[in-house]
Amino acid sequence: MTSSEKSFLAKHFSHVYVEKAVLSHPVTIKILENLRSSQIVKIDNYKEVFCRAGQNYSLQEKSKKLILAKKWGEFLYPAPSICHNFGYDNFFYTSNILNCIYSCEYCFLKGMYSSANVVIFVNIEDYFKEIDAVLGNMPLYLSVSYETDLLALEKIVPFSSAWIEYAASKQNLTIEIRTKSTNFKALENLKPQDNVILAWTLSPQEIIEKFEHGTPSLSSRLSAIKKATENGWKVRLCFDPILYIEDWKMVYEKFLNQVFGEMNPDKIVDISVGVFRIPKDYLKRMKKAFANEITSFPYEESQNICTYSKELKEEMINTILLILGNFVPSSKIFVI
Amino acid sequence: MIYIVAAFHAEAKPLIEHFGLKKLYEPSKFQIFSGNDILLIESKEGIEKSSIATTFALTKFGAGSKDIALNIGICGAVENAFSKGDVILCNKIINHHSKKAFYPDILIQHSMKEATLESFMHPVKKDSLPVEIEGDIVDMEGAGFFEAASIFLPLHNVHCIKIVYDFLDFEKINPVEIESMIKQSIPHIENLINSLLKLNLEFYNNTPEIDNIPLLVNKLKNSLHLTAYMTNELESLLKDYIIRHKKLPDSIFEFFEVQINSKKEGKNYFDKLRKILLS
Repeated sequence: MTSSEKSFLAKHFSHVYVEKAVLSHPVTIKILENLRSSQIVKIDNYKEVFCRAGQNYSLQEKSKKLILAKKWGEFLYPAPSICHNFGYDNFFYTSNILNCIYSCEYCFLKGMYSSANVVIFVNIEDYFKEIDAVLGNMPLYLSVSYETDLLALEKIVPFSSAWIEYAASKQNLTIEIRTKSTNFKALENLKPQDNVILAWTLSPQEIIEKFEHGTPSLSSRLSAIKKATENGWKVRLCFDPILYIEDWKMVYEKFLNQVFGEMNPDKIVDISVGVFRIPKDYLKRMKKAFANEITSFPYEESQNICTYSKELKEEMINTILLILGNFVPSSKIFVI
Repeated sequence: MIYIVAAFHAEAKPLIEHFGLKKLYEPSKFQIFSGNDILLIESKEGIEKSSIATTFALTKFGAGSKDIALNIGICGAVENAFSKGDVILCNKIINHHSKKAFYPDILIQHSMKEATLESFMHPVKKDSLPVEIEGDIVDMEGAGFFEAASIFLPLHNVHCIKIVYDFLDFEKINPVEIESMIKQSIPHIENLINSLLKLNLEFYNNTPEIDNIPLLVNKLKNSLHLTAYMTNELESLLKDYIIRHKKLPDSIFEFFEVQINSKKEGKNYFDKLRKILLS
């Protein structure tokens, strides 16, 4: 974004919409302390703002607003079949933040919601209570950064730390915090936990520049990962989604060589690989809001999932696996 | 087009003069002024009248998604946090009677204060102020205007600008004073309009090739005798192709001159065209 664009757009979180029910919640108070110059607008229910008709997602991305709310009802959801379960049974996800501060063109959130604004459910204690009850009956593998990038928002609300501290006392719980953020510093003072996996999504720098707007560069992500492994954290690398671009073979080969040129593969717990895929309905909505190379690609549809043709998908996966084979044993690689 | 809805002539007059608007002499129940891509309608007092005038203007003059609608007028301040003449951009608008709340999308910087506006069907005085009032300021039009305008326009293009006239203890309204206060608020209003125009111009999809798609599709629909289903598919394929390749396929022009003699022939040509557009 150029400086002239910045000069007339309101900055991100210029407005914070707060449900009246959580105005005095300690997490709300903490967040608002960090956003003293923002306009506070009181609301009855987050859906009044988040689910309004007439929102323009792509313009809202230029000036995202924050909504603070209380989560009611369900706190855990079974993970969809298009996600890796990494061999774990009882794979669930939870969302105490909806939407992300990054603007990746391929992100399914753009098809899931009608708003680019970020919702934080401040009552994290209710999530913990619900999980406590579930853990009494079964072990749980939980993705806690499913509809957002928790670590990227750590300065606004330290939920990654809160989840890690919670998980530390739970033997039959494993959590995955997936991120593109380089904000490992926020976790540096925490003790690494065996049941916490920090998962970094990595893409070639060409893809980052073209499609992952606002995200950190590949080299800075790699630096953060190195620090995390050096500090004893379990780290997963996610080469997902792999995107088709004209010279994808060359770009991804160079990329994987760079990653493992800088990173010791033995320090990595496992790796996930998957090509771009998205539910048909989400793609339809994304196309309405965004006209770009991702949404306009002629995907094939099967069982309500849109992805590349079988031949192209196989070629892409096989190529990536062949290169990865130079660095990592196949037992560490999960493909979807 | 910028649509301005004002209740009274005293509120409208400074805007008419500043923007060089001329009275429209088309038959209408409303006083309408236009010029320089701005249309101003005088709604008269009240939530319903504001809603009716807004709907009339936006439908009669064919409002599109890049158009802007503003409700400009005076208000009373509930809180003493405001001063007389303060220009306020409303970040929440409540219809006191239906309890419906509306939220404009404020995506651009501006030079005004912000507040919650609560609209009533009757004048509100301090001694008759309802206990459950949530608004920082009150008026009699904002909610009607916003509910109507937001049906036709995206939320970032619909705004209420209110100028604090009294503190709910007024005796009589002075039109000359209102004119002067509106006049003083014009730099803030102009600043907002300019930023909204810039936002719509810079960030909406402005690809000329995509704007031409309906014309192309219509031509191909006629030359290939396409069904409604095929026409829709063609429109979507063409748009996707242009986004991916930044231009039309060279071979598309051959399809404009095709002579179709049977349904089957039309389908064959369409399949051929589809293959090209999927590449």
